[in-house]
Amino acid sequence: MRSRRVLITGVGSFLGTEIARRLETDPEIDYLAGMDERPPRARLERMDFIEADIRNPVIAKLIPQAEVDTIVHNKIVRRPGPGMSARSAHDINVIGSLQLLAACEKADTLRAIVVRGSAGVYGSEPAAPQFFTEEMARRYPLRTRFQRDVAEIENYFDTFSRRHPQVVCTMLRYQPSIGPSLDSQITRYLSQPLVPTYLGFDPRLQFVHEADAIDALVAAIKNPVRGPVNVAAPGTIGLTRMVRMAGRPTLPLLPGLFGTVTDAGRRVGMHSISPDFRRLLRYGRGIDITRLVEEVGYTPRHSTVDAVEDYVRTQRGRRLVPVFREAVAR
Amino acid sequence: MGTEAGSGNGAGAGGQPPPPPRDPRDPRAVRTGAFPGAFPIGPAISFLRRLRAGLDAGRDLPVALAEAGGTLPRDLRVALDRLLHRLAGDYQEDEWGFDEEFADALLPFLEFLYDRWWRVETIGARNVPSHGRALLVANHAGILPWDATMISVGMLREHPLPRYPRFLVLDWAFQLPYVSVAMRKLGGVVASPYNALRLLEQDELVAVFPEGVKGAGKQFKERYRLQRFGRGGFVELALRTGSPIVPVAVVGSEEIYPKLGEAPVMARLLGAPYFPLTPTFPWLGGLGTVPLPSRWRIEFAEPIDTARFGPDAAEDRSFVFELSEQVRETIQNKVYENLVARGSAFF
Repeated sequence: MRSRRVLITGVGSFLGTEIARRLETDPEIDYLAGMDERPPRARLERMDFIEADIRNPVIAKLIPQAEVDTIVHNKIVRRPGPGMSARSAHDINVIGSLQLLAACEKADTLRAIVVRGSAGVYGSEPAAPQFFTEEMARRYPLRTRFQRDVAEIENYFDTFSRRHPQVVCTMLRYQPSIGPSLDSQITRYLSQPLVPTYLGFDPRLQFVHEADAIDALVAAIKNPVRGPVNVAAPGTIGLTRMVRMAGRPTLPLLPGLFGTVTDAGRRVGMHSISPDFRRLLRYGRGIDITRLVEEVGYTPRHSTVDAVEDYVRTQRGRRLVPVFREAVAR
Repeated sequence: MGTEAGSGNGAGAGGQPPPPPRDPRDPRAVRTGAFPGAFPIGPAISFLRRLRAGLDAGRDLPVALAEAGGTLPRDLRVALDRLLHRLAGDYQEDEWGFDEEFADALLPFLEFLYDRWWRVETIGARNVPSHGRALLVANHAGILPWDATMISVGMLREHPLPRYPRFLVLDWAFQLPYVSVAMRKLGGVVASPYNALRLLEQDELVAVFPEGVKGAGKQFKERYRLQRFGRGGFVELALRTGSPIVPVAVVGSEEIYPKLGEAPVMARLLGAPYFPLTPTFPWLGGLGTVPLPSRWRIEFAEPIDTARFGPDAAEDRSFVFELSEQVRETIQNKVYENLVARGSAFF
């Protein structure tokens, strides 16, 4: 595909803006449009900003007018931010995706859809394979609301791509992103003065560095493949190790009390922990990225440990536990 | 920072006779000194004095620690240094969560069990390939996976080029607090063919117990009889990855928890695969989990080369069953042989 015309939803988010910025400077991209109800975080010269709510049926008129060949769906809410209810997050995720697909039905020029989905669809299971591959998505019951949302979204796009074989639909399943400039559930979790953990659990976690998250998506736009693709940094990190690297004291809680205590912590200004994230903190999750490397052709540059280190480096001076390293052995 | 002079003080502070010369290449030399049993009182007091002096002089805690640390014996300093590094998150875990440093730290305890408690004799460790993928297939008995840890210690002690085996653990263990963490840090992974496949493709040494729960929960009277080997999944894995199969016979683990009966109601309440009743458990509470000191023998048998059959042989059901049965018989025969060689179970 030469000279591409691309539209991005959710361009007002950090990653949405960064992806738009990357695509703007790309000579292969002829035309770029960005859609969101809030403006992008930086001034973008070439991008056409379409101010529209993805839940609004009016996008079925706006999107075909843009005559794009590729749509990047980046408007999936992983964690309801402050002032957003779980209900409206669900609406944006599910109804928004439905409206987007309704608009896609009318866009004749469309050839590819790339969705920034979530590896949350695999869930966090103690007895699961330690590295999920793409075909292992429905092995366990869908336990949390977010997990059900993601599964539903995947279903819609799956059905769409079967009914429209001329459109290549790539479902990128992202592990949580981490990095110096990102504000995500995991960075909020690590920035608390006291980090709640499950007593007796130290799960393996896997992230993707923010730079790799952007580049992997750009790579998928350049080389769209059909079906789901896992996106994560190679390797995993233990929760305890990560919290220690960030220099935070932990608050180990009995599993039965975790919900009660963290909900109470909300009232004194600590961040809320979604049910989905809770399961992650208890059982962890790892995914296999062979398909990303071999079929999409993108190899992440940062390992999970590197990504966490990169985040921690920018947090220097905010450590709460003093560094005793090199203290004794000389 | 004055640590040079400090270490000189430290050597003289205890006033003890010089320790017997140790081979510097012996890796245990450092470990034994760091063990709490050998905690030096004299140096500890001078350490605390200097720490207080440092703090009184208005230094930061890490700096004061560094200066006072010079008074400690070297072994203790190294151990303390490792501990502080770990507290800063400075340690390695591979993608499976295996933490070699943690495993090494636990080794003295496991070696105590190996040498003194169970007096394990390991035969044929050289049959395990020293590099590349391989599948250890062992019989399983005793309710907790002590046999897996003893196979590891046997490998580390007797093999000329030792390496840690990874073992597949019943998934139930991964729901438990602490147990799950200890398992993964020692090289355990969830018993799933996908995990085993990935490990073998990474050229690791993988230990499996095809008897599974049936093996761990067998009655005392049938303790030396191997149970059915599942569906032969381990043979498929070995064929598909071209990994040699090393049959391993463990004798002695059958006696550590003589299982007399079961309490299915308790098992259902706890969500456990079964709830054993032994002469000591659950009557003595936590004390009931202390394994009995039986005498053990571990034999690694001749490896079976599977690469020559090719990966397609994994599709052939009857061949897979045949090979699985062959491995089972080898282990069963080795168990009987070693029973005879062992003699009395406890003395």
